[in-house]
Amino acid sequence: MAYLSMGEAHRRINDYLNRFCDAVSNQDGDSLKRLLSLSSNNPSILSLADALNVFQDANRLIKQSDNYSQFGEILVHLFRAFQSYRVGSFVDSYQAFEKAANAFIQEFRNWDTAWALQALYVMVYEIRVLAERADKELATNGKSPEKLKGAGSFLMKVFGVLAGKGPKRVGALYVTCQLFKVYFKLGTVHLCRSVIRSIETARIFDFEEFPKRDKVTYMYYTGRLEVFNENFPAADDKLSYALKHCNPRSEANIRMILKYLIPVKLSIGIIPNDWLLEKYNLVEYSNVVQALKRGDLRLLRHALQEHEDRFLRSGVYLVLEKLELQVYQRLLKKIYIIQKQRDPSKAHQLKLEVIVKALKWLEMEIDVDEVECIMAILIYKSLVKGYFAHKSKVVVLSKQDPFPKLNGKPVNS
Amino acid sequence: MMNQGGNTQTIAAVDPNSLENRHIVNSTQGQTSSYFPSTTGSEASVWPIHRVENSSTDNGIHSHSTYQYDQHTQPPASSSASLGTVNAPQDYSSYTSYPNTADPYGYGSAGYPGYYNNYQQQSNQSYSQPVGAYPNTGAPYQPLSSFQNTGSYAGSASYSSTYYNPADYQTAGGYTSSGYTNQTTTWNGGNYANYTSQQYAPYTPETPGVYTSANATSTPQNYQQHYKQWADYYNQTEVSCAPGTENLSVTSTQNVGCPVPGVIPAYQPSDSQPPPSYTPSWRPESSSSELPSVQSGAVVGGAHDGYWNHVALTSQSQIHHISPIQAQFQKPLDQKTSYDSFQDQQKIACSQASCIQYPASQQVPYVSHTYQTPSQAVPSVDTRRVNKLQIPTNPRITSHVTLGLPKIDKDISTTNAAAKPAYISVSLPKPVEKVPSSSSADSLLKTGMFPKSLRGYVERALARCKDDAQKAVCQVVMKEMITKATADNTLYTRDWDTEPLFPLPNEDAINKELNSSNLVSSLANYKRSPSRRSKSRWEPLPEEKSEKAVERPASFNSGSLSFAAWGHVNDKERKPLVWSAGSKNDYISNAKFPSLELKSASKITQKPFKKQRLSDGVGATENGDASSDSDKEQGLTAYYAGAIALADSPEERKRREHRSKRFEKVQGHRGQNNHFKPKNAGAGNLYSRRANALVLSKNFEDGASRAVEDIDWDSLTVKGTCQEIEKRYLRLTSAPDSATVRPEDVLEKALLMVQNSQKNYLYKCDQLKSIRQDLTVQRIRNQLTVKVYETHARLSLEVGDLPEYNQCQSQLKSLYAEGIEGCHMEFSAYNLLCVILHSNNNRDLLSSMASLSDETKRHEAVKHALAVRAAVTLGNYVKFFRLYKTAPNLSTCLMDLYVEKMRFKAVSCMCRSYRPTIPVMYIAEILGFTTITPTNEDTEEKDSEGLEECIEWLKLHGACLIADNNGEMQLDAKSTSSSLYMPETDAVSHGDANLAVTDFFTRTPS
Repeated sequence: MAYLSMGEAHRRINDYLNRFCDAVSNQDGDSLKRLLSLSSNNPSILSLADALNVFQDANRLIKQSDNYSQFGEILVHLFRAFQSYRVGSFVDSYQAFEKAANAFIQEFRNWDTAWALQALYVMVYEIRVLAERADKELATNGKSPEKLKGAGSFLMKVFGVLAGKGPKRVGALYVTCQLFKVYFKLGTVHLCRSVIRSIETARIFDFEEFPKRDKVTYMYYTGRLEVFNENFPAADDKLSYALKHCNPRSEANIRMILKYLIPVKLSIGIIPNDWLLEKYNLVEYSNVVQALKRGDLRLLRHALQEHEDRFLRSGVYLVLEKLELQVYQRLLKKIYIIQKQRDPSKAHQLKLEVIVKALKWLEMEIDVDEVECIMAILIYKSLVKGYFAHKSKVVVLSKQDPFPKLNGKPVNS
Repeated sequence: MMNQGGNTQTIAAVDPNSLENRHIVNSTQGQTSSYFPSTTGSEASVWPIHRVENSSTDNGIHSHSTYQYDQHTQPPASSSASLGTVNAPQDYSSYTSYPNTADPYGYGSAGYPGYYNNYQQQSNQSYSQPVGAYPNTGAPYQPLSSFQNTGSYAGSASYSSTYYNPADYQTAGGYTSSGYTNQTTTWNGGNYANYTSQQYAPYTPETPGVYTSANATSTPQNYQQHYKQWADYYNQTEVSCAPGTENLSVTSTQNVGCPVPGVIPAYQPSDSQPPPSYTPSWRPESSSSELPSVQSGAVVGGAHDGYWNHVALTSQSQIHHISPIQAQFQKPLDQKTSYDSFQDQQKIACSQASCIQYPASQQVPYVSHTYQTPSQAVPSVDTRRVNKLQIPTNPRITSHVTLGLPKIDKDISTTNAAAKPAYISVSLPKPVEKVPSSSSADSLLKTGMFPKSLRGYVERALARCKDDAQKAVCQVVMKEMITKATADNTLYTRDWDTEPLFPLPNEDAINKELNSSNLVSSLANYKRSPSRRSKSRWEPLPEEKSEKAVERPASFNSGSLSFAAWGHVNDKERKPLVWSAGSKNDYISNAKFPSLELKSASKITQKPFKKQRLSDGVGATENGDASSDSDKEQGLTAYYAGAIALADSPEERKRREHRSKRFEKVQGHRGQNNHFKPKNAGAGNLYSRRANALVLSKNFEDGASRAVEDIDWDSLTVKGTCQEIEKRYLRLTSAPDSATVRPEDVLEKALLMVQNSQKNYLYKCDQLKSIRQDLTVQRIRNQLTVKVYETHARLSLEVGDLPEYNQCQSQLKSLYAEGIEGCHMEFSAYNLLCVILHSNNNRDLLSSMASLSDETKRHEAVKHALAVRAAVTLGNYVKFFRLYKTAPNLSTCLMDLYVEKMRFKAVSCMCRSYRPTIPVMYIAEILGFTTITPTNEDTEEKDSEGLEECIEWLKLHGACLIADNNGEMQLDAKSTSSSLYMPETDAVSHGDANLAVTDFFTRTPS
């Protein structure tokens, strides 16, 4: 960095202070937003940070003028956050920024209109991002990362400021989404529940009035939660909503949504097109889909094994695993069709030994008892209509629609 | 010491002899005083003996407390003091209450409780030691034994009475003057305990051989007997003393709830009336040893006095002392016959003396009655005389009180007086003999209880103090408050949380104390480092192991130092010293261990005691060894014997006592079972420790003005010193006490013990929890920690105690994460199974599956667990039960808990899928009732059993069974599918009937 004269530093600081105060007095949310976005690496903020490092007595400048000092609480901490950020100390930066944000909220509360909502969004976003970086820093120093947790509780506070009646409520969903991100990252998903409840039960505000991007994000996260709960119809609804409203150009987001939507759809019996998987680079699902189509148990298991880590991390492993029953169903159906071609009169009687043999061809070593058990489960779960005769070891299929389709309904549990 | 000084003064006015006696008496509490008069020589030896005894008891405090108790019991007034002491240190309050009621009985009871405490906590050993202390004293006395039994007794009694009177007066004055007395007493009690222990400890080194031997041998027997007897006595005392006991009874009840409160009321009443009455009685004694009545009084009040006197006088008194003690103990059990036995047991051969004493003691009861009665009615002639005498003394005392120092004096005096009388009283109570022990036990138990908020209040108040002197003053003030509150019956009703703190006492007042304390502390300072194991500051001490060796000398030094200090005190002002004692613990600790600042002086003192014990046991005297042997024989448990041998057990006992007092009234019945800690142990000590700990921590913060984050936790971590292998679990509510925390090597033994134990799960669970606690408290995180948690986790799995298992599992998780070796794989498998089968939380399951490394996944148990998971998610019951049969390790136990659910699911599934029927044989096979391949002939029998079981199970769940043509049972699928239901599970899944009754949480919700 080039040498920065004291005068220049002084000038930059004064300039920033002026702009800040102007933005507030003009209620110019956009300008204010730009003055706060720390992690955007905005050159004006970077140069300000340099100036602050040269001119150490910025606090005096703030105190000198009534104009500045009314926002002293914000500015002092903000400056420190800038300084620490510039020198790469994210923990300090986070701490200072949280204080600044706290002071900002106090001010925000007193403003009647929601003009500063954009600035608040930036604050909220910065808090989360800074906390993540600070945690990284803490972790590398061998300390326990706790800043993100702190950010979570701070955002809860912000949420409290916004969640009430009035024009500021539009901002609540943004904060909620940031909270989701924090909670998902922390693995404390159960904390989402209270936020969701307050969003969904408050009838004061129609959900549709929230900004679209927030709605999509919200639906994405709540849909993921439903996947965890294996509540597939609800997950389907939410994720489909997100997919439908998602900006079609943000493919990364679409991919993220599909990552969860596809397993959900599969488990309610809807199979995606291959091109979809290819377009969004979700090839890890293609073998699963193939297995479902073919009734190939081996392929399914291989696919699961191959991408186990990925599926486990994203949380769809258990969902995919349960497709196994549908694969069995498909297999039975194939046997049934073959039998029907040979001898239509006896087609509805599937001998257990035949099924065992079929599985053996798939190199699945499953003995008779287990197959019998699986047949019982298939019948029990209504994937197969009919009954099992233990004495003769035969699956007796219903003559009408022995293999009912799921058609968007989940497998009976 | 202050008390002694006061006493001595008064005595001086009265009689030189009396003075001596008084000194002696005082010395028991304030040993220094006794020393002063007698100065070295035989007396010194005697004192050391006493101290030795105490020290030998390890409990030190407890043993001391017992002494104090005895003393307290004798004089009613003293009883109040004793009560105070009791409250503060431990269970004293209960004791005190007894003394108040019926002098002899109450005393006996009081003494007994103390014993009880010791016994329970320390088991026989501890008892034996304290007892031993008495005998020991006797032993030294014997040599001296110029005084003959009767004569000496009378004389001693009188002296003692005078002493006692002063003590009483002081206490009374203190009480009358202010509520302080009660509080002070309690505190003093604590101090006393500490003092005695400390003093004893130092002394012991001096005269180790004789004392130790005598002590060790005699005590155990007595104690054992005493336990039961004491209880009886207590009961008796209440009954018998009804008239006089009003106060007592009240106190006792109060004691039950809170030791202090109970004590206080007793005190107050006693103060108003009893003190005068007491004084008269005492005076007669002191003034005239001639009168038989006087003798009795002397005996009662002065049995201890006599002891002391003997000490002073030395020769005769010793025997007598011993005998009284024994007699008292014996009396409860066998009465006179027991005496003989006691004598026999006691190697001191106090037979004659004991005989004499017994009569004396018998007389004493009368005296005691008279005392009580006097308080209510007009005192007897003796009492009247006493009154005159007392009056003069009282003023002095009162003056002391005003100074603030007097409190301590009071306590001391009271304790001394009380303690001795207690013995006497014991002898008297014979008629009562075997009243139900429950009452006594209850009272003891109850005594330990303070309201929590009050504790917090005390801690807060103490935390403000900048130094020990201030602390001491604060303690005094608080005692006063507590006494008042008890008197008002507001102790429990008042909201201590919101109670404003009293203003800090003046610096001036403190200064005196400080001076005195400084003396002590300076003396003590010599060998602080060795003695101070307990605290964090000291923690880094590398000398820990060498401490034992060092301790002895240290204790000696401290002893001598303390003596010197005492002497100073006496010369200048005894009161200040005493008050400084007010921060009893501190003083004590200072004397022995300079560690006053450290959290618990008591702990420190205990440690030295232990060491002394060891030293005694090892090198001191043959007698001591013999005694220890006898102890062992009598020893309740092998563990204890071992512990005793180590001589480390006392601390443990103390802890146990504390805890048991607070929480385990029920254990009173188990008094003999040392496994379960005694109830009585000084709750007061606990409190004071806590308070001290708080102060310490505060000091820490204040001193460096450090933020919490900056505290060096390593330096604050407790290092355990307890050597007891067995320890009950008690959830900590305050800073841990290093004296009750076991170091790593002991914990290892404890773990082994639990692993090899044949006892039931509840016992093991309790033990393991205490081990875990000790580990946590000492921040030990190594392979031992892992082993402990693994052991506990396995145990809890075996019985299906999932909550406990989950605790262990979560700890193990983090321990493994730290890279500590253990059966990681095995427990990952358990963890998986647990999540799959019991938590049913997909996210947890996902995260625990995701956290498995490839290596882990290849492990047999983990593979199995994963297979189980797959079977469960799919509902594949055939697979599940196959895996169930082949489960490694304890996975079976975890799966056990799920079997019922799985079977039900399977049957409901089969009912829906199968038509028309399913053979029951097949179901039994598939669902794990029988082996799946019943080809083996050997298994046929089993299979038929399994079949029966299966049929039973199916019927229980509402299945429709029909027999087919071949007579084979079939399940009617269609009708069963509508009639199947899950019965209310009354059965305990693990099938352990013992647990079924006591352990509701082991039932699995299915």
